[in-house]
Amino acid sequence: MGTDATLVDDDREVTVEATPTGDTLLVAADDLARETGWTLRPAGLCRANVCVPVRDRDALVTDEGIDVRAFGAAIGRPVAVEPDVGVAVLGAAPTEVQARLDARTAPPFTLPDLDGHPVSLDDFAGRKRLLIAWASW
Amino acid sequence: MWQELHDELAATGLVMLAVALDEDADAVRQWAQDESPVPLTYPVLLDRDHLVAERYGILNIPTTVWIDEAGTIVRPPAIAPADDRFKDFTQIESAVHHEALRRWVHDDVAPMTAAEIHDRQIPADGAEQQARAERRLAVHLLRAGHRDAADRHLAAAMELAPGDWTIHRGSMPLRGEDPFGQAFFDYYQTWEAAGRPGYGA
Repeated sequence: MGTDATLVDDDREVTVEATPTGDTLLVAADDLARETGWTLRPAGLCRANVCVPVRDRDALVTDEGIDVRAFGAAIGRPVAVEPDVGVAVLGAAPTEVQARLDARTAPPFTLPDLDGHPVSLDDFAGRKRLLIAWASW
Repeated sequence: MWQELHDELAATGLVMLAVALDEDADAVRQWAQDESPVPLTYPVLLDRDHLVAERYGILNIPTTVWIDEAGTIVRPPAIAPADDRFKDFTQIESAVHHEALRRWVHDDVAPMTAAEIHDRQIPADGAEQQARAERRLAVHLLRAGHRDAADRHLAAAMELAPGDWTIHRGSMPLRGEDPFGQAFFDYYQTWEAAGRPGYGA
């Protein structure tokens, strides 16, 4: 039986059932489908009307769940895992990042200001915006 | 400082949004106070997970991105110091950026052609994206008190993205290192010897 693990997907952190195995986590297939939209079908891993082929199904799926590293590899997203703590991070797919760069559309974001109030790029739609990334370091 | 530029240009409708790639809000508050004679009057947002760095492909600070009324990026991420205090390190004249900004804000002069934007955009890279995921995991672990595991994933991130300052220098406070001390000078020298990678100006 799996235990509660944390899946970090973009700006969401969700709890899924997972089993640590070696350097990876086996995430319950239903939980992974619910949180990411990807389900395993005969055609491969599918989301909406898109399916990606799965070359080695046995490496991806076991009775205990879906290997989150193999899952990331199949859908083209980087995965970082700490199995013993029970955390997996799904990073941004290089292909999606590149597509956005090519489209030149500013990716939306919502972040807290220093008082904790959420501020979105879209709050200022229709105006010229200067985004300044900086840090205390 | 950016505050001066904000005071000058706010009436034109330009929105300035600062995004701090920091873990600790107090460090940002302190920094903002030290840097400016008046409380900053533009929003300062806290991006503990470096979501903006990931989504915009930002590798170093201070970096600006210009976004027009329609939400189109008209000038991709590039180092843009507010002033010339650190010019010895940045080798960038801050006024060039600010003059172009004034022309864009006042006269709608596009800073770059589409071809120039394409040439200056740093392409998405698998190792870089993996590094960002490792960093993200590391800060998650750090917040939960798993220091050793966090250090391992930070080390993995730094190895995967040797030219990414948001990962290298940005990790120094997380690792208990002084980002203005020896660790900074060591990293700066290594990065400079490698030809200042990722320094799109």
